[in-house]
Amino acid sequence: MQKDELAKKGVPVQDDLILVDRVLAGDRRAFEPLVRRNERRVFRVTLSILGNIEDAEEAMQDTFVKAFRHLDQFRKEARFSTWLTRIAVNEAVQKRNTRKNFVPLADVDNSEEQFTPKRRESWRSNPEQVYGKQEIHRFVEEAIQSLPEIYRAAFVLRDVEELSAEEAAAVLAISVPALKSRLLRARLMMREALSEKFEEPPTLKTKIVHTALDVGTAVAMRLMRAAGR
Amino acid sequence: MKTMDCKDVLANLSCYIDGEGSAELRTALEEHISRCRRCRVVFDTTGRMLKIVTDAEPFEVPLSVSARLYARLEKVLSES
Repeated sequence: MQKDELAKKGVPVQDDLILVDRVLAGDRRAFEPLVRRNERRVFRVTLSILGNIEDAEEAMQDTFVKAFRHLDQFRKEARFSTWLTRIAVNEAVQKRNTRKNFVPLADVDNSEEQFTPKRRESWRSNPEQVYGKQEIHRFVEEAIQSLPEIYRAAFVLRDVEELSAEEAAAVLAISVPALKSRLLRARLMMREALSEKFEEPPTLKTKIVHTALDVGTAVAMRLMRAAGR
Repeated sequence: MKTMDCKDVLANLSCYIDGEGSAELRTALEEHISRCRRCRVVFDTTGRMLKIVTDAEPFEVPLSVSARLYARLEKVLSES
């Protein structure tokens, strides 16, 4: 996210740096507004990696304690929030690795294989008329929680926290192409999960029309391919 | 101009949404979507999914979680 976009959201980047300087100069109280501005992001990140509130809470506390104690190591080339996010990812990953039932997720990263969308119906034009705001909020959280961790972390950093692809890749210590490939998979899985709720129930008429269109497209593509030979 | 098949569209979907990719690639994708209903649905609903997620602002910090965070930080900040 660019600086002007951040400013629009009411998070002046410059203010974080001023607060950091005040803490470093001995004004410990200046750390509190830094926590307020960033607690939600840190919580989302730790939750996206750990998958449950108890562990996410512990990792969030450890993140802020560590950030406070090591604030002098913050180099101002990056934004404070990005530096903090990196600590949060490390804390959460460390915590996850100590779990008894932990299976290294790098081993199950099959994002190179293409994901095929199964649901192909359009969505209702206005889901808000069918579901309440609270309900939609719950669907979104459940869909995010249902993603496998590597996809969930990529999705939360990029599409919820709106980090740039480069920042998200750096935070997760993976390459930018790897991040993009995980993000694509995550988005398609999210679409699939929410389709269950938001799809337009197909009428017999639309089914017939769609089948006819699909057949027509397939024929047209064959003809085009044949013409190209 | 190179034509795209459904597999190519899917592989480039995220790039397109993020405003990346060459003009040629973007035009090829748009051209495919204009004539392929199935890809158009995936494309449109992925965009709508992103909008719904942004609007929903998922995962508030529960009040009790936030309170315990400040209590712990209070202790840490008052350490000498």
